[in-house]
Amino acid sequence: MTASVLGRVVATERRPNTPHEFHFWTALDAPVGVGTIVRVESTRPVNGVLPSVYGVVTEGFGYTDLQTPLHDVLGADGVPGSSASAPTERTEIRLYTAAVLRQVPEEPLQPVPIGTVHLATEADVQAALRMDTYVQGSDARGIPVGAYRSGGTDAAVHLDADFLLGPEAAHLAISGVSGLATKTSAVQWLLASIFTHLPARKGKVAAVCFNVKGPDLCFIDRPATRLDPADRALYDALGVPAEPFAQVRYFAPWHARGTHLATLRTHDALADSVTPLTWGLRETLQYAEVLLSREDIDAKADALIDFIKERVVDQRFEDKLLEGAHEVRAFADLERWFRELLQGMEAANQEQWRTHHIATIRKVRNRLGNISTRCKGLVTDDGTVSDLPFGAFEDRAVYVVDVAQLEEDAQDLVFARIISQLREHLEKRALGVEQVVVFVDELNKYAPSDGADTYVRQMLLDIAERGRYLGLVLFGAQQFRSQVHRRVVGNSGTQLFGRMDADELATPGYQTLAPATKARLATLEKGQLMVRHPHFGQPIFVRFPRPAVLTGREGVEQFPPAEVPTLEMAVTKTLRRLDASITVGQVQDILALAGDDEEAILRARNVTLLKRPDNVLAFFSKQLRKRVAPEVVGGRGPAPLRAPATDDEYG
Amino acid sequence: MRAAIRALRAAGVGVGAAGAPLELRPAFDDAAPRVEPVTPLEGDRLAVRVVPGAPEPGIRAFLDGIQRSQVVTHIGAVPLVHGAVAAAVRRREARQLRTWGEARRREALVLPVAALEPTLVGALGAVIPLVDTTAGEPTPPSGHPQDLAARALTAVQRMREAEELALLAAWVAEGDGPLLVDGGISGSPEGARADAVIGVVKSHRTLYAAPAELPLVLGLREGERTTAVTLHSPRRNPVASWYLRLRDPGARSPLFGLVRVEVAPTGDLTARADAVSRWVLAERAPSALPDPRWDVMVYGIRECEEYLTAILPR
Repeated sequence: MTASVLGRVVATERRPNTPHEFHFWTALDAPVGVGTIVRVESTRPVNGVLPSVYGVVTEGFGYTDLQTPLHDVLGADGVPGSSASAPTERTEIRLYTAAVLRQVPEEPLQPVPIGTVHLATEADVQAALRMDTYVQGSDARGIPVGAYRSGGTDAAVHLDADFLLGPEAAHLAISGVSGLATKTSAVQWLLASIFTHLPARKGKVAAVCFNVKGPDLCFIDRPATRLDPADRALYDALGVPAEPFAQVRYFAPWHARGTHLATLRTHDALADSVTPLTWGLRETLQYAEVLLSREDIDAKADALIDFIKERVVDQRFEDKLLEGAHEVRAFADLERWFRELLQGMEAANQEQWRTHHIATIRKVRNRLGNISTRCKGLVTDDGTVSDLPFGAFEDRAVYVVDVAQLEEDAQDLVFARIISQLREHLEKRALGVEQVVVFVDELNKYAPSDGADTYVRQMLLDIAERGRYLGLVLFGAQQFRSQVHRRVVGNSGTQLFGRMDADELATPGYQTLAPATKARLATLEKGQLMVRHPHFGQPIFVRFPRPAVLTGREGVEQFPPAEVPTLEMAVTKTLRRLDASITVGQVQDILALAGDDEEAILRARNVTLLKRPDNVLAFFSKQLRKRVAPEVVGGRGPAPLRAPATDDEYG
Repeated sequence: MRAAIRALRAAGVGVGAAGAPLELRPAFDDAAPRVEPVTPLEGDRLAVRVVPGAPEPGIRAFLDGIQRSQVVTHIGAVPLVHGAVAAAVRRREARQLRTWGEARRREALVLPVAALEPTLVGALGAVIPLVDTTAGEPTPPSGHPQDLAARALTAVQRMREAEELALLAAWVAEGDGPLLVDGGISGSPEGARADAVIGVVKSHRTLYAAPAELPLVLGLREGERTTAVTLHSPRRNPVASWYLRLRDPGARSPLFGLVRVEVAPTGDLTARADAVSRWVLAERAPSALPDPRWDVMVYGIRECEEYLTAILPR
């Protein structure tokens, strides 16, 4: 037993032990540091039981028997090098402060007794973090978050699924500086861990990840190119297969030009796996307030928009000021409706129409008409809708929504609508899965602690406060936790911290951490995290493996985005997703019929893609004919179909 | 101390707050400074010699002892003193000091047995070891409380010396290199004969030199020593001794940085005194600060004292 003794608890009047903190000294070469978990053994029974105390080192001190540095200067005659040759080294102490993780028995809660200090074993780590209550047994629900490593002890650290995904607590907030905190990697790893370890009895789970910058999440279905043996050992130890996500569906809006998707995952080998994300008037109008500022929408404008939503869109609408009946199903239809209405009012010399003033009508027309321009690629004029499979979400699937190339307004619209749809479907228990993890990066931007009260922030607050009852779980990442709305981070049951900025650590939110813990946070290596979880009495440091997926940067190197295609190539590529035999030549022949009406061509392509007909070319051609009146020039017959070029790479 | 208090309470004796240790009371340390002539062993008269060569580590271990004497209570005018002593050898290995063997510790209630009720003495003796301050003394105690306390202090000093001597004898028998002892070694028959034992005396209430030779001793400069002499003391064992200046006194007391070294008077004394002086000079670093005697105390002895303070019976 003596051999395993790491140190000894000490207490003085000036530095007493308390029920939540104690001090111990060790040999100079003891394998202990900030974050090490230790166990105190007392020899004095309390109520007939020998107490055990588990603690985590939060601070370390080292000093010698010198009273002042001046004494060392005097002793060395002012020559720094001379003390190195002294035949004896000064007596030196390593004194550590540890925060209590758990006392066994828990009652009576007493100051930590004087006793021997031991490095925590794997079993001790489980007991110290109260994981023994949820990692084993019939109700096991532990989700490995990483490995605790210190002094030769290697122990898996599990989160409680009931406190990570609900219903007891939920949500996760991960903070750290860009590039070094490995926030995205940590979330990818944790999702893999959840998918592997969440018991089937807890229901189906899926993840919706918003890719908000670069190619971060664009290749998570591809295997990592570099996973070293240490990473693989961690995967083995934590019981998670070192494999990319098996089921990933990518969604991206069209580029504003409409020829290609606005994503970096456009390499020919991968492009088929990205589904267009497009919404029409009805989908957009529900969230009009996301796109319209408070200054834009006063009570009068709001009333008109409500009227349009309830009485005009998706139904037959007649009015004496209009030339005929309208069926407004797309932005183009709405524009026609506005135009006729205003013309009718002018003709009748009317300033009011159904209590709405002409100025209000003009203003709303302007603002709504603007939306399809501001969100071009996402919002279609023609009402084509291509959406996430709400209602048919699959278990253990990741739905990546790439909004990195969208304007800020359009990003807000995507967040608002997808999250609202998720919530509505979860409320009805009709999503396809019982729990959805929504990963949002850059919470500093979307849920800031100050600034305007935006729709997106309200929605994130709503998830944070009520999502756990629905199974809607927010995994938010941010560089500065102090600048995220306190109710968003405050409602996160689990908090992860990667390498932190020193200025951020100086903010009040971190004042409960010891200086040494802060110093460690400021210098954390990649792949290390500090974890706060409801069961853990104190923050714990863990190590997690690199995600077994291709990183965004490697992904774009391995699968460089395709060149911006010509219209013909863009249509061909898209249609080839439905029928691989389609050639550029065939498409060119059909496009010749459409003349220069690029919008009509793209509309036809979108409808074809959405309908997935058996005869793709015929359907596509029919769509074009619907829109474009055949124009016979000079009485010539239709141009003969061109034979496919022999060097056509798609032929 | 706690054991003594428990013993007294068990015997029905009231115990008040303990006073300051007797070692700190100036009345008990009032011997007059003096000068004693010596007989040269190196050359025919006392001379100054620069220690040749650079200081070099040669000491293997350090021996020191500490004591604490506190009046626990009085029975009438008789002080009952709790004495606690400890001694240890701290052996150096890889520049770290570790206790060699076991440290020696002892505590006792020190009192004049003849001046107390036999039943009380019996009751106390059943709980804690007793040391009789009158045993073996040539003159009976005067009954003056300070005289009784002074005798108790002497008894505790003897307790400490006994522990130090026991450790010194053990090192001579089993130790593995030069041992630096805090204080003289002439009181130890084994130490005074062993080549491996070096005594370093820090206090100079008695200066060993003829009055005419005093300027030589007090004028030593850093790194200089006097030639070796032998001390005259019928109750002590013969040793060779010399003064060595560890630190330049500048304008400070002429005793600043001055130590007296004692070794067994064997072999080539000049070569031996030079070598030992180099060893002692090497021990100036690290300094013994913040000990007030840092100018004459080597760090090994200070560290030993700190260790003993931590383990001294309380």
